[in-house]
Amino acid sequence: MPGQAIDGEPEWAPGVSTVPFRNLSRAALVRTSARLNLGFDSVELVRIQRYYMRAGREPTDLELAGLAQSWSEHCSYKSSRVFLRAAFGKLQSARRVLGTGDAGVMKFEDGFAYALRIESHNHPSAVEPYGGAATGIGGILRDILAVGAKPIALADPLFFGPLDRAREQLPPGVKSPRYLFDGVVAGIRDYGNRVGVPTVTGGIYFDPQYVVNPLVNVGCVGFLPRARLLPNRARAAGDRLVLVGGLTGRDGIGGVSFASRELTERSETESRGAVQLGNPIMKEPLIHACIEAFDRTLVRGLKDLGGGGLATASGELVHAGGFGSEIDLDRVPLRERGLLPWEIWVSESQERMLLDVRPNDLSALLAIFRRWDVPATDIGRVNRGSIERIRLGGVAAGTLDVGFRVAPTPRRRPTRAPRSATRRPRARVPDELLAELIRDQTLAPDSVSREPVIRVYDHEVFGHTILKPLQGQVTSPSHGDAAVLRPRTESWKGLALTVAAQPWACQEDPRGGGRWVVEEAARNLYAVGARPDAFTNCLNFGNPEDPHVLGQFAAVVRGLAEGARGLDFAIPSGNVSFYNGGLGAEIPPTPVLLATGIVPDVRQCTSVDLKEAGNPLYLVGASRPELGGSLWARRNGLRGQPIPPTHPARLRHMGEALLSLARSHALRAVHDVSDGGLALTLLEMAFGSGLGFSVDLAATGLAGPGLAAVGEGASRWVVEVDRTLVPMFERQLRAEPVARLGEVIATGGHFRWTDRTVADLDLSELYTAWRDGLRWT
Amino acid sequence: MRRDRLRIALVSIEGTNNDEELLAALRALRVPAEVVQLKQFEGRDVERSQRRDLFDFRVLLFPGGFSAGDYVRAGAIFAARVRAAVGPSLEEFVRAGHLVGGICNGFQVLTELGLLPGRPDGRMGRPQAALMTNDSGHHECRPTFLRWEGGRFAPLQSLPPGERYMIPSSHGEGKLVLSDEPGARLEDLERTGQILFRYVGPDGGPAEYPWNPNGSVGNIAAVTNPMGNVFGIMPHPERSFYRIQHPDWTRKGHPEGPGDGHLFLESIVRYAETHD
Repeated sequence: MPGQAIDGEPEWAPGVSTVPFRNLSRAALVRTSARLNLGFDSVELVRIQRYYMRAGREPTDLELAGLAQSWSEHCSYKSSRVFLRAAFGKLQSARRVLGTGDAGVMKFEDGFAYALRIESHNHPSAVEPYGGAATGIGGILRDILAVGAKPIALADPLFFGPLDRAREQLPPGVKSPRYLFDGVVAGIRDYGNRVGVPTVTGGIYFDPQYVVNPLVNVGCVGFLPRARLLPNRARAAGDRLVLVGGLTGRDGIGGVSFASRELTERSETESRGAVQLGNPIMKEPLIHACIEAFDRTLVRGLKDLGGGGLATASGELVHAGGFGSEIDLDRVPLRERGLLPWEIWVSESQERMLLDVRPNDLSALLAIFRRWDVPATDIGRVNRGSIERIRLGGVAAGTLDVGFRVAPTPRRRPTRAPRSATRRPRARVPDELLAELIRDQTLAPDSVSREPVIRVYDHEVFGHTILKPLQGQVTSPSHGDAAVLRPRTESWKGLALTVAAQPWACQEDPRGGGRWVVEEAARNLYAVGARPDAFTNCLNFGNPEDPHVLGQFAAVVRGLAEGARGLDFAIPSGNVSFYNGGLGAEIPPTPVLLATGIVPDVRQCTSVDLKEAGNPLYLVGASRPELGGSLWARRNGLRGQPIPPTHPARLRHMGEALLSLARSHALRAVHDVSDGGLALTLLEMAFGSGLGFSVDLAATGLAGPGLAAVGEGASRWVVEVDRTLVPMFERQLRAEPVARLGEVIATGGHFRWTDRTVADLDLSELYTAWRDGLRWT
Repeated sequence: MRRDRLRIALVSIEGTNNDEELLAALRALRVPAEVVQLKQFEGRDVERSQRRDLFDFRVLLFPGGFSAGDYVRAGAIFAARVRAAVGPSLEEFVRAGHLVGGICNGFQVLTELGLLPGRPDGRMGRPQAALMTNDSGHHECRPTFLRWEGGRFAPLQSLPPGERYMIPSSHGEGKLVLSDEPGARLEDLERTGQILFRYVGPDGGPAEYPWNPNGSVGNIAAVTNPMGNVFGIMPHPERSFYRIQHPDWTRKGHPEGPGDGHLFLESIVRYAETHD
């Protein structure tokens, strides 16, 4: 009976129960874990049993709930840690990194720094797209805030099944891609716009492999004076632990366990309660109040309350500082009555942070939060030693060694090496009916304009978005390669942001695909005039207990590291999302990057749209015949094709040459060649300008016009060069593979093969169809 | 009054999230503007040094955002709180002829207070208009062009009417709808010179969607009260303060220069410093 002393055991607080554990067989332990929805495997259960045998007592439900949060895959990275450490451990670029806490922190200029982080909110969004996407933003904002930074931009890469997939074709319990897409976009819009942080970049990808398990990743960049950089650890014994922000309720209980297993047809009914409720109008003043408290140096360390709630945040905060804690759960302000102690401990209610505050600073800190009408409560203290004591009304509810609780032993699960890339004979792109082929590619769901979505997100709040997600003339904007922010109006220095993902290449060749994604990010950054600086990655994969999946993971991570080394990217933060899939379906390996670049002077930025008829168009970078992962291969259902090789170090060399040309204003427009190949690249450049182009596809050196138009390999850009500066351009790039494609003309998309016309497109009609191709309701 | 003494308050509550760029723009104009939480006027939960009085300021601006989440009609909650906290002083402030402006959500707040389109005596009261959900049914973040209609708004008197400016929009509820007899009300506003800006197309002609992003009556983007000292504007002049914030600066050049919104804010500041 709760509250009553059981034979030789401590007396526990009301509402706390003990769970018989010490005398159970391994099979009985597994049953107990399943019954209580704890998600431990048998190895972990035995370890826990041993701990309590040494302690000479049974665990409380609160202790087990806390352990289950911290030992989940979602919080502990137990399956991925060994690979990440080996691959990302030693990068030259680490010298630019200032912090690797809840968010990575990079040097910017003079005393300023920026923070970046991306993570997934896949499973919540699969059952409740609107709320799942909204709280995904809420979570990433807190990660940025938790290093002392103010969030300044959001990025939203999204992956869905085909929007026209009929309901009858969906597996039981799976929601239609159209419903998920509409809900996710509305969730991002309503949370992002209300909280007042611009959504400046992202991506929308469609593939049948995302029908069961869509991916909703969300990235954020923050900005801070370097002096404000804060650690995610407690600083001194005796400091107070102050819980600030939203009230604690029953939402989001078990969210991390939900994220750490595959979806099933019952996910909707069983796990709806694991989805949290977001409140941007609590978050907005919470950010203000926190920044004010940081600026007045009233906060010494902090942690956001995300997966695992107070249990994870308090445990990690004090453990990182080498301390223990004492927490009074009855002081936690609640939204509803009747919460059990363990529910308070692990609730993932949103908009909360835990601050480490000097006792003497407490009253000044509380005054700030009072003025902002944000609840702030002193709930405990940092203690010497390594024990966490959780109490209610002064009576114990749990007492654990915090190191044991928050740091599970990393797992070394078996991997199987991915099969080699080339399995089928090389496909041949037809050279006939090229205009129809280009039209089909341009109007494919993956290619059509994202304007209908971009316009519902406020991408300009704060007024620092100086190269926008849509670029070109106001009457016909086109997709840019990257957005550029100017964080300080006192300076012309800029920060470029871009999202890169190529799951199809990763599926054909995980390691090469990993490199490809990094290259794509770098190409996007160089295109706008930015030097690659850092990326944060969200690694979305299937079940890591499947050696094939973990083998793909290991190979992708290796490829990402190779790309980062060659292009001098730092990797100061990241997130792993396993268990994406279920009902027999598996997602392709989907590493998603949010990459940043430094723009020395934003006045030299180049946009994607063509500028002036008569200027020459050049292709920079060597063309390749491989088609693996390309839009054309996907539309023709071709798998097992080799992907184009990548050479990150060589790409860097070309990119540096482009930067130097941008400084001399020799480049009028730049666009990287990616999805859809050279043809779609040229069309996007033309769409944004109202101008046209005339090009000779034979300049690619490829076998025929079809391949030249749609091939995507690799490491290439199309650039419009100021016609008075052609000699400078050619001199600067004389050691690189450069081909003159043709020139900008007044109207029309004219493709030749030497002197024969192979496609002649009416761009105004095609533009309208492309612009209106994606319906969002 | 010297510009460096011209105090401008940006009045905010939770969810007022466009104060930062407006503050930056005014500071770039060398004005000691400050963000003031409504509670600082009430004196509730604030330290003595942070208390403020409306009459400490020359100009009051209500910035954009989603005050209190705008979960009911946009601006309605903020307006109710303003009325309760400082209603009589605000009325006095307006009747004294000081400038009061609202941008985006601020326009919605002043409309809910009944200060816009407003009464000849400058009193608050029942709303005479509403800013309703855009015809598209959703948020619209896009460049818009505004034409100065040569109305009563004193700060712009030196500018030639018909001039066109790129001032971007970003709102979900910006469709101006007039109450009672809307047709007659629209004619009244035109006659009394209360129409400050209309949306126009990129070629300067009448605006259709998306150039009128919300379906506002008469393509109205901004209005003033009959006295011309209270204004509300849906688009964001603070977001085209610098030329480099314009969406097409990479085509048109001159990234160093001032943007179209600069002129509007500069006119307000110049008017306030010369008209005590």
